[in-house]
Amino acid sequence: MKKRYAKKLMSATLASVMVMSMLSGCGSADSKSTEATEQTAEASTDEDIEIWSTNNGYLPVEAGSELYNFYKDIIGVGIVQPYVEWNGGETYLEQLNLRIAAGDMPDMFTPWNGVETELIANGALLDLTDLLPEKAPHLWESIPEDVWDAVKANDPTGQNRIYVIPQVMSYGRNGAMIRKDWLDNLGLDMPTTQEEFVEVLRAFKNDDPNGNGVADEIPTGGRAEARWMGQLFGQYGIAMWEGYPQWDIYDGELTYSAVTKNMRDCLEWMSGLYAEGLLDPETFLNDKAAWDGKINSGVVGIWEHLPQECYNYAENIYNGTGVKPEIAVLPAISAPGYEGYYTMHQMNGGGFVVANTDDEAKIDRIMKVLDAYGNQDLWMKFYNGVEGMHSEVVNGESVRLPDDPSTQQNLVLVPFNQIATIDFQVNVLSSQLTDDRAWAVSQAIENVQENQKYVKSFAGDGMPESITSDYPDIANRTLYIEYATKIITGEYSIDKFDEFVEKWYATGGTEVTEKAREWYAKKAQ
Amino acid sequence: MGKTKMKRTEAGSGNLKEHFKRNWPYYVMMLPGIIYLVMFKYIPMLGSVIAFKDYSAYKGIWDSAWCGLTNFKKLFTYPDFYKILRNTVVLGLLKTVLTFPVPVILALMLNELRNAKVKKGIQTIICIPYFVSWVVVGGLVFDIFGIGGLFNNVREFLGMSPLLVMQKESWFRPIYVLSTIWKESGWGTVVYLAAISGMDPSLYESASIDGASRFQKMKFITFPLLVPTVLTLLLLNIGSFLTLGFDQVYNLYTPMTYSVADIFDTYVFRVGIQQAQYSFATAVGLFQSVVGLFMVVTFNKIANKVSEDGGLW
Amino acid sequence: MKAYTKKSHVRESANDKIFGFVISLILILFAVITAIPLISEAAVSLSSKTASQMNQINLLPVGFTFDSWKYLFMKGKIWTPFLISVSSTVLGVAIALLLNVLMAYPLSKTEFRPSKYIMLFVVFTMVFAAPKVPYFLTLRSYGLYNNYWVLILPHIMTAYNLIIVRTFFKQFPRELEEAAMIDGCGKFRILLQIVLPASKAVLATVGLFYGVTMWNQYEHPMMFIQNMNLFPLQMKIRTIVDGGGELQAVTMAQTANYTSATLSAAAVVFAILPVLVAYPWIQKYFAKGAMLGSVKG
Repeated sequence: MKKRYAKKLMSATLASVMVMSMLSGCGSADSKSTEATEQTAEASTDEDIEIWSTNNGYLPVEAGSELYNFYKDIIGVGIVQPYVEWNGGETYLEQLNLRIAAGDMPDMFTPWNGVETELIANGALLDLTDLLPEKAPHLWESIPEDVWDAVKANDPTGQNRIYVIPQVMSYGRNGAMIRKDWLDNLGLDMPTTQEEFVEVLRAFKNDDPNGNGVADEIPTGGRAEARWMGQLFGQYGIAMWEGYPQWDIYDGELTYSAVTKNMRDCLEWMSGLYAEGLLDPETFLNDKAAWDGKINSGVVGIWEHLPQECYNYAENIYNGTGVKPEIAVLPAISAPGYEGYYTMHQMNGGGFVVANTDDEAKIDRIMKVLDAYGNQDLWMKFYNGVEGMHSEVVNGESVRLPDDPSTQQNLVLVPFNQIATIDFQVNVLSSQLTDDRAWAVSQAIENVQENQKYVKSFAGDGMPESITSDYPDIANRTLYIEYATKIITGEYSIDKFDEFVEKWYATGGTEVTEKAREWYAKKAQ
Repeated sequence: MGKTKMKRTEAGSGNLKEHFKRNWPYYVMMLPGIIYLVMFKYIPMLGSVIAFKDYSAYKGIWDSAWCGLTNFKKLFTYPDFYKILRNTVVLGLLKTVLTFPVPVILALMLNELRNAKVKKGIQTIICIPYFVSWVVVGGLVFDIFGIGGLFNNVREFLGMSPLLVMQKESWFRPIYVLSTIWKESGWGTVVYLAAISGMDPSLYESASIDGASRFQKMKFITFPLLVPTVLTLLLLNIGSFLTLGFDQVYNLYTPMTYSVADIFDTYVFRVGIQQAQYSFATAVGLFQSVVGLFMVVTFNKIANKVSEDGGLW
Repeated sequence: MKAYTKKSHVRESANDKIFGFVISLILILFAVITAIPLISEAAVSLSSKTASQMNQINLLPVGFTFDSWKYLFMKGKIWTPFLISVSSTVLGVAIALLLNVLMAYPLSKTEFRPSKYIMLFVVFTMVFAAPKVPYFLTLRSYGLYNNYWVLILPHIMTAYNLIIVRTFFKQFPRELEEAAMIDGCGKFRILLQIVLPASKAVLATVGLFYGVTMWNQYEHPMMFIQNMNLFPLQMKIRTIVDGGGELQAVTMAQTANYTSATLSAAAVVFAILPVLVAYPWIQKYFAKGAMLGSVKG
């Protein structure tokens, strides 16, 4: 790797110097550039493993720092991580690509948006198929076998090798929530049919469920680009993850859920709700802060988010309005003729990939890291992090401190988020059942478990990003959000939906569908 | 090397020595700047070859395979190419015609303020939005036009029902223009104010003696003297005619206004940046630059015709 | 300028007064509108956690508190980045002015024939930009990776600013230079002793432009600096503003009275303040640019 890098640098330098002297007849830059070659080449030490992962503003992990020593004590390997801005993945991807372009790939990193496909095809990533069972057995066993099979099926070289350690979520994380206390205030029952659901929405809008005498209630809604509206899409059996339509079996074949009859019926229904004022009129203008702000202000009745985090809304509503709300999971409701559910997304893209290397000792060190990463006995330790920085000891037990990006280093290994289980989630929540928080946190514990009754996986789960990467507008669902939002707001009539489907197939949808079905046939084998 | 050649065609070989003897300080003065531009602009620019390659970060610039004009073809055959071209041109025109003159007018008006403190204060305040990022300004625009925002409060006061203009196609362009003026025209006055401060006071004095009103002085003295600066800035801006900047549109548009708001820069963001298709992003950039160069050259010719020495070269 | 205003003040006609009044009114109105972003950010930065979470702050703070500012100053670790930004901006402006003045002066001489071609050479860099990856690789090969100078060197000359300087030089009265030439002054001396002293307005303007670019920059440090100890202020602020994703930890700071929104608002205001302090100070050179006339007289 290093040799390659040096060679590339040399040629870049040479080229620059040549052009320089050609254009300006001046060769003063070359002493400067050779110096640079030496300087950058020694930047990474051989002993430490450089790992890149998501960082939302926390401090980097430098050699010799507290978190570095923490990992070294547990794993026996030094881990470093520079500060790389995540910014929704865009900045991260660009930074990663720049480092790869400079021939200086991090030893291990979280792949994003299909960046791994091309690297695998070029032999730039380490083949983990034989290494994992042998040298990282804990990780090998932490991830179910069918998930490994799916990973193998995604090998872009078609050889069924494992290059990617997947992110797995073995439970349904997202679901719809409802203000149970509003139902009680109005003497209503939990809705179970679509008809009852709409009645509840009407009651929420008109009957002042929060009892403040003002008609400020927003029965339900969501965020811009029709995100976080699973409470509605789910009723029509549409596979939808945080506003991204997924691929599932419709009419017996793997199909993009956005172009199905389910979607058409759902949009038609939603446009009726919008016209009646049962959806937040600002739904498609809400960013995260705006929508959360409305929920936190105690004016929203039903919304989709993470039931495991509903304590957060509960506490915010309490702080802001003085009302202790009761938040419950809204049972999945079926529209007439459809089977409703909340989408469960088990395979959430790649967790880590490893840069290819011939250095046996280095491979061993990386495998040690991966084994520890998959070792569930260590997860609580990883979760609690450095004592005094991420956690403190209370009554002999470690308790996580509040998140504080400016004083805490970024936890590099977060297997509990990347190989997420409901048990670990419940454990973590249970550690916060203090006197003043129990009322809210216990709601979360209950809801995350209750939600499992209503979740369902979909056939296209685990489909690699590379299938749509030649069609960015499909990957970005550009056309879908334009038509969906315009239909819901009444700008377009529902008849326009057919035009959308036609357009979608004409601008790459046909090709993508073909590729997706090919992938599915292979996976099903 | 290149320079010597240039001179020969310029001055004829006989005068070369003379030219050098007279002008060597000029060459010395320019040398650092030229070296700088070569090192920091031209050498990296050579990497534009990736527009003609199927660039792979792993293979590197030189080892990536050539792909001819594929990337350009992809741009021109993009089903919505016409749409983004139209949107870009319309917004570019609006920016040039409606937004560009505002700082000139503001500067002329500021120059008429008599109270030095008020003038300084206003001058400073109107620059503020320039330093606030589009994310924040965009958020404010959404707030102002949201339910409960200023706009809809006024409508309510007038007995009208609320209107969510941020999701209305017909409102996007006015909002685009107004938000540009709001954010950038204050800062744009800086150059013009500097130019005005360099004007010869004796001209105003003699005009005053002739009994000219303030408006007449502004119209017949200040403005004509400002024209060369205005012209230069126009030429400087026209080169980026198709490069409107990603941030503003990205933070102001919604899927419901895509059809009038989607421009080259937002398209490149979706395709080139999010999907890491650098070759394609570079190809689009080259296209924008070639159009920009064409615009600069054309307008430079016009400028040279309109006023002697009015162009950049 | 001052002398002129005094004189004309005496015989200001009624029409002129109305004219002045209308203009003041328009400008004050415009200033009020343009102040909104800063006021609203300041209001958010001074508001409580609850108000921020309920998204109810407009132009006035709700639940007034200094907690965000306290956090920013005490725990935000912004002072080193602040110093890095100040030093790189000051140093960068000095280098930029030197380089630009030297280059712009010959370019302003139409009788210096090569200037025409050099201008094309310059304009070309304005229209064509280097693609990101090759740009990164080239500068990295100059040693500008994790290097303080990457905050300065990429910003010391843009065609745009260079041409502005040149435009001002072009408007410089010829007679003055010619007189000096006859007195036997060399070209360097003319630039240094005659042209520059009378060009404070443009130096202030372009210096301001370069300074603001360097002060506000985050794209270069984002690409080239991964060592947090070298972060300039805007990069540091980005780490504060980065609100994170949907996932959050169940542990919360119960006592803290800020959110990432109020913190980032405080950071945004903090980064603007130095500009607000510096700009009025720079403005005085605009008035002094009028010296040109007195030199001539």
